[in-house]
Amino acid sequence: MTDAKIRVLIADDEGMIRSALAALLRLEGDIDVIAECSDGEQAVAEAERLLPDICLLDLEMPGLDGVEVAERLRRTISARCVIVTRHARPGVLRRALAAGVAGFLPKSREAGEVAAVIRQVAAGARYIDPEIAADALSDERCPLTNRELDVLRLGQHGETTAQIARALSLAPGTVRNHISIVLTKLHVDTRQQAVLMARERGWI
Amino acid sequence: MVGVTSETAHEPRSLPVESTSRGVRVTWWYTASAIVFFELILVLTWTATLVQGGLRTGPALALMVGGVIWCASTLPILLAYRHRSGEPAAVQWRTVLLPVLTSVAYGVLAFSLSGLWLLLVVPLAQALQLLDWPRTIRMRMVLGVTALLVCLWVLDANAVVAGSVDIASGYFPVGFISAALPVMTVLSLWWWDVLIALDRARVSEARLAATQERLSVATDVHDLQGHHLQVIALQLELTERLLRSDPDAALEQLRAARVSVDEARQGTRDLATRFRSVPLRDELANARDLLRAAGIAAETVVGADAHGAPASVFGPVIRETTTNVLRHGGGRHSTLRLERVGELWRYEISNDTDAAPASPTPAPLPSREGTGLDGLARRAEEVGGAVEIVRGETEFTVIVTVPVAEDTAR
Repeated sequence: MTDAKIRVLIADDEGMIRSALAALLRLEGDIDVIAECSDGEQAVAEAERLLPDICLLDLEMPGLDGVEVAERLRRTISARCVIVTRHARPGVLRRALAAGVAGFLPKSREAGEVAAVIRQVAAGARYIDPEIAADALSDERCPLTNRELDVLRLGQHGETTAQIARALSLAPGTVRNHISIVLTKLHVDTRQQAVLMARERGWI
Repeated sequence: MVGVTSETAHEPRSLPVESTSRGVRVTWWYTASAIVFFELILVLTWTATLVQGGLRTGPALALMVGGVIWCASTLPILLAYRHRSGEPAAVQWRTVLLPVLTSVAYGVLAFSLSGLWLLLVVPLAQALQLLDWPRTIRMRMVLGVTALLVCLWVLDANAVVAGSVDIASGYFPVGFISAALPVMTVLSLWWWDVLIALDRARVSEARLAATQERLSVATDVHDLQGHHLQVIALQLELTERLLRSDPDAALEQLRAARVSVDEARQGTRDLATRFRSVPLRDELANARDLLRAAGIAAETVVGADAHGAPASVFGPVIRETTTNVLRHGGGRHSTLRLERVGELWRYEISNDTDAAPASPTPAPLPSREGTGLDGLARRAEEVGGAVEIVRGETEFTVIVTVPVAEDTAR
């Protein structure tokens, strides 16, 4: 790693931030920005073509978000992914760690710090920003059991109770029971509201 | 709360707004069953009195069964009242027609069996009271109906005195209950209406509080951003002026502007997160989930009395140490422990380190790293506690102890 430059791919849908960050990173002697992508699909395609060492991925992108890109890339190439975000929604750090993301930092960090994180991650370490970790630790606990989350997850695209029941090998009555418990716990009236709430909080 | 995009900052925790709560539902069933119970009492009293007055078993049974049917027929009207839309004119004639006809039929039956005018009118009068009338109309109606019933009572009294109906002894209670039923019903429904109004007020009050909280946060953010933007604008203007004449001073101003940007960001973050706090138990559980998501087998051991531990001290400690474990990676196991040991709160986090020294030692980040454990020690000292760090062969442990505060000691 010491002689060769670290090859970095940047994906961010905000052009100004992307080009500014790329320019600042190019100023670092040991970092080479080899691709700039404006959305997740493009990032996956470019990364698979160019095989960068590090993918610097914005969390909020149209289409595939940063974590989804990292998830896909993990299966195909060996690049390590660093997620950058303006505002980490609850649950997203857990999702990112589960997707094998090696770094997670807020957008507000200076380019010098981003470069240091890139070096650290390229050297095989993991970097989680303290601010993001603090947010993740002070998240509300999810009041739902795993089973209840399964029911919500399987029904999130409007599947019927019978379909959910079949997928989980449960009786439809049991599924209905789970749903009514979920509604009571979350203080909402419909399953759709419960799904929205769970998604927003990063539970499913 | 629903549909918040990733663009918005953390919303302050607002009061939970529940729609009609369980207590209200229970009160409804209480009110409805009280009304039906009055009706049943009325039917029973009629039957008993008329049987006393010499009514034969067959007609008495008919009066009784008819009465039960009549009571049942008022249930749909009651339910319609419960679920009314709030539009006074929206009386659902389709749901109401059958009960009203049943009431008329029962009135005619009761009159034909007893010869009492009161019994002809009361069933219909009661059914009409249950409809969703505008308040003034209901008021006039109940007064009118009660007056009418009292008149019929007097009319019937003449018949009783004349001896055509032989129920002299039971006549007073029958009349009283019959004439009082509409008033009782209207009072119950009125009570129900009051309760609903109170419940709505409760819900809107909670919403209002949440909205006010948001408004005040919005104002704070606006003030804060406005102030910092102004400062930054000035600093940039100064930079522009100085750029040619004194590049060093210009650079100084530029750096100052960057510091201002950072301050603004931090201030906004502090505002957004000032409402966020979770119990230590939850924080530990979150830590465990994160570590597990990162592929570290994490366990938490939380003492039964750990809820008394000061969150202001241990919250940051848990965050800092968990972040450290996450960051150094490499490890496979981690244990977090929070418990009370005698007069001390004791938090311990341990993780195994790679047996081989972490090959390329990760370069510490410029500003933020390194301050972590020192910061913990300082924070612990402020409350009379201590931090102990044990670097074992294969294990790294941080132990934070804080004395139990006087007021929670007992």
